Amino acid sequence: MERVFTPLECLLPTGNLTFCLLILNQPLDKGYFHLLWKKAVLRACADGGANRLYDITEGNRESFLPDYISGDFDSIKSEIREYYKVKGCELIETLDQDFTDFTKCLQILQKKIEEKGLQGKHKLHVNTGLESNWCGLIPVGNPCDNVTTTGLKWNLTNHVLKFGTLVSTSNTYDESGVVTIETDKPLLWTMGIKNKQNS
Amino acid sequence: MERVFTPLECLLPTAVLRACADGGANRLYDITEGNRESFLPDYISGDFDSIKSEIREYYKVKGCELIETLDQDFTDFTKCLQILQKKIEEKGLQIDMIVTLGGLGGRFDHVMASVETLFHANNTIPTPVIVIHDFSLIYLLQPGKHKLHVNTGLESNWCGLIPVGNPCDNVTTTGLKWNLTNHVLKFGTLVSTSNTYDESGVVTIETDKPLLWTMGIKNKQNS
Repeated sequence: MERVFTPLECLLPTGNLTFCLLILNQPLDKGYFHLLWKKAVLRACADGGANRLYDITEGNRESFLPDYISGDFDSIKSEIREYYKVKGCELIETLDQDFTDFTKCLQILQKKIEEKGLQGKHKLHVNTGLESNWCGLIPVGNPCDNVTTTGLKWNLTNHVLKFGTLVSTSNTYDESGVVTIETDKPLLWTMGIKNKQNS
Repeated sequence: MERVFTPLECLLPTAVLRACADGGANRLYDITEGNRESFLPDYISGDFDSIKSEIREYYKVKGCELIETLDQDFTDFTKCLQILQKKIEEKGLQIDMIVTLGGLGGRFDHVMASVETLFHANNTIPTPVIVIHDFSLIYLLQPGKHKLHVNTGLESNWCGLIPVGNPCDNVTTTGLKWNLTNHVLKFGTLVSTSNTYDESGVVTIETDKPLLWTMGIKNKQNS
């Protein structure tokens, strides 16, 4: 069974993608934020991600209330936590120190997706017009003994991808607008996004 | 045999050989404005698709060696290290460490390419190679025992052990707040991030496979 997927579809103003938005504690890029927020079906913050949301929505905060904020709450500012609590956002404290706030937030998200009734071979559509000109396949964590691709400038055919042997970085696309990847083990896909302000 | 090493010792004294990989020369040129003649690299190598032509010309006129390396199967970083190793051998230099500035920011595939270079260097270069960027340091530990002195006063309060590229089936540490004892480190099972130090000032790590050590450096301006 093949998984078909357009990585940057979530950034398109049109389109029917159903997705959830998870905000972590890093500077938020204003360029795509409003569009992503608008189109997401579920929106969450992991701990200090709420600080970032609070800052970037100044002047109109009531229109940007997350469905829940989860974490061990050592990063979220207390006045910001109070603000969202008063506004009715669910606050879920997750104290387990064996996992990051990101991991725990994803677990909660998965539960909510199941509760609300909302995964080889891979085909990625890379023709939204928002792709920049680099991509890569990174065997983080484990070698991949058998990787085959099409649609890249430097394709692989039953290749080994392994740190110390071969890692695909600074790759790019051919003209087809579609990349297919077959891998025998987990493999990290990475790609660049056009900077809206520059393009 | 145990490898003993003080990761941040390089932030104290001087370099014996200095090189730029391609656009690294642009960075050097910018940061040394007003005093460029005191900061001339021994050589600049790369495929020269990033270095600005006027900057290339400047360093050429000042007598810096320019070495063009067109091989597209390896990054400028990897090729620059290979040249460095040759020069170290030619000059018969005793080198404790190779310090790389840059390589851990910006595009994610470039960061991974830097890690890949460390893997290749492990096979071809006997000297430890560290990469420093944005107050982070990475260093690839070869299989075996390691002792790291982390008491220069320049260490910030985080460190980690990352099994990039392969699981490690048997890792034991001392000197960390959360130590490991014959633990498996593997993406999807356990990765040591946001770790920190105990009071001892020394970290020991024993690993059966290559394992990436990472640590934070104090920001001089803030401390």
